[in-house]
Amino acid sequence: MAETKSRSKRLMTTGGIIFLVLGIILYFAKEPMGLNRKIYDLPIFLIIIGLCSAIKGYMAKDKTEEEAALAGKTFTEFLTNNAILLAMLVLVVVICILQPRFMQIRVALDILTQSSTKLIMALGICFALLIAGTDLSAGRMVGLAAVISASMMQTATYANRFFPDLPQVAVWIPIVAAVLACMVCGALNGFLVAKYEMHPFIATLATQVMIYGACSLYFDMPPNNSQPIGGIRPDFAQIGQLRLFNGLWKGFPGISILIPISIVICIAIWFILNKTVFGKNVYAIGGNREAAVVAGINVFRNIMFIFILASFLYGIAGVLEAARTAGATNNYGNGYETDAIAACVVGGVSMSGGIGKVGGIVMGVLIFTVIQYGLQFINVSPMWQQVIKGVIIAVAVAIDLTKYRRK
Amino acid sequence: MRKVFITALILVLAIASCSFADGVKIGAGIYRFNDAFMLRFRNAMSAESEKAGAEIDIADGRDDQPTQDAQIDEFIAGGVNVLIVNLVDRMAAQGTIDKAKSADIPVVFINREPPLEVLNTYVKAYYVGAKAEESGIFSGQLIVDYFKSHPEADKNHDGKLQFVLLKGQNGHQDMILRSKYSVETIRDAGIEPVELASAIANWDKLEAMKIMNAFIMSIGPENIEAVIANNDEMALGAVEALKAQDYNKGDPSMYIPVVGVDANASALEAMDKGEMLGTVLNDADGQGSAAVKLAVSLAQGKDVSGEVTDGKYIWVPYQKVTRGEKQ
Repeated sequence: MAETKSRSKRLMTTGGIIFLVLGIILYFAKEPMGLNRKIYDLPIFLIIIGLCSAIKGYMAKDKTEEEAALAGKTFTEFLTNNAILLAMLVLVVVICILQPRFMQIRVALDILTQSSTKLIMALGICFALLIAGTDLSAGRMVGLAAVISASMMQTATYANRFFPDLPQVAVWIPIVAAVLACMVCGALNGFLVAKYEMHPFIATLATQVMIYGACSLYFDMPPNNSQPIGGIRPDFAQIGQLRLFNGLWKGFPGISILIPISIVICIAIWFILNKTVFGKNVYAIGGNREAAVVAGINVFRNIMFIFILASFLYGIAGVLEAARTAGATNNYGNGYETDAIAACVVGGVSMSGGIGKVGGIVMGVLIFTVIQYGLQFINVSPMWQQVIKGVIIAVAVAIDLTKYRRK
Repeated sequence: MRKVFITALILVLAIASCSFADGVKIGAGIYRFNDAFMLRFRNAMSAESEKAGAEIDIADGRDDQPTQDAQIDEFIAGGVNVLIVNLVDRMAAQGTIDKAKSADIPVVFINREPPLEVLNTYVKAYYVGAKAEESGIFSGQLIVDYFKSHPEADKNHDGKLQFVLLKGQNGHQDMILRSKYSVETIRDAGIEPVELASAIANWDKLEAMKIMNAFIMSIGPENIEAVIANNDEMALGAVEALKAQDYNKGDPSMYIPVVGVDANASALEAMDKGEMLGTVLNDADGQGSAAVKLAVSLAQGKDVSGEVTDGKYIWVPYQKVTRGEKQ
């Protein structure tokens, strides 16, 4: 038994060092061997993976014998529990062989950029999932925030302005307006769920339809008449398009501003969920609502706060989408909630409430984005992409439920 | 006294209803309201109706054929004299024609062309639009002109043109013909076109941006010599994706010509900034007013054989637009 307990640790450390050495050798060998166009930035990835693995292996605590025994017995369980992650790794290897360009720092950064707004959405929706609910209005709130913010952020010279006489207002005003509009919708969600004990599915379905209708009415106001909003001011577009350290060294594309924004939000949500009374209450309500009531938790206030906080995040995501694409239509955000829910589920958030961690959600979003991005990268037909996406969701929920039953 | 009053009232009502019936009532179905091109079309139709003194009711099909079918039924039940229909699904034309036929009112299709054999099943069915192949030819010509006047555009100096294609909704006749003729025009001009990749982006900016981004990453921007998009929104999506990689921002060594179709306001602005090479104006105003004029004549029972070609069509020509030639 003593052997098993250190075996995994040793495996990680030695494996990491092998990767690291291989990476360094390849890094210096790729120029003279003419591998530049065949392996791209693979050496750097190997070095990073190797370093992480080695450090993690070295730092890992020795498992107790019991745990080690459990780990050995449940190897197949490990496989099923991480089926999606393993599928992703296989896919990444296949894509790298089919299209070596995938092994670029540029691509990795791009995947992180695309994950950013999805992560913000998923962090918002996880609150609804944690209380065993859901939020169908999330995507439409993104559209609402995108349209409201973009409509006030057009250049003075643009031919089809939404508000022809609007002066060039400060950038923060439309952002606050857009996020506030979303928070009003979130408050409505919370009120319906908390006051009438409506199932969140129905409550948010109702608000989803209302929001889309209201957003379309706003979008259809003359003189815009449902025309896609364009001519976005560069200072607003920067919020989604700015790249930090651009050109730090030759060919470095820079880090999208979206990545630090989502990291900050991620840390804030982690703090709220783990270090505040409100966070504990969310888990308590999700675990057992009646018990939470008996324990004296103000369920009404907490549920209101959950939906308002979530809608705040959707609002931010919507503003960022409008800025990133320098435009908006009322169709923005359509279906984002399903992607966000799916990412949460893949990341181990239980649909029956009370279980879910921020780290898991980050993993879920990354896995989901890598798979989607990878399929697009090797030009898989969008119809097949849909099929594969559906399979992933079904498998993830199936695994979630079997795990639950085992306990 | 009372009798006189009632008679007068009936008379007034009769006259009022009579003058209503005199005016032309048009029922128009648009496939989706939030489409920049169809918006211009709608505005042109409203303006022309007002000019002609006709009443027009325009419905939003919300990109869903059953929704539009229900709206057509409502129009017919509401007693319109003529229908103008921008089909959601052009293969669903037969259903619309059958409805019009059973109510014996003329129908003018716009923007999405029904197959000829379907149009031929009803004498009072017409189509007003632009010849999609013409827009394809023009966008091909824009690329050819650029290629011939800028030798550096052939980045790998192989004499061929490596391009990516962003296509509209699957099955739409504009998507099929624009894709086909733009490429054929390049070939006819003596440059061999090489399609590096193509994808359906459903006329949508966000989708096109995502797809173009994947193309840039997987093919490499240095290998792409042109981007051909079936409409301006997709071309603008491609431009945003290129700008995110510092392309098309003014540095001539980092430029990929992008062409679209429609000439909408955002595209004209992008062209002014030098982010987009050119576009083809699909004359929405001309088509919108032509459709309403035809509809009014048909509703009034006038002979339209002089105005239409082949007994079914009114073709409104396209126009090429490049930088500095704002219309």
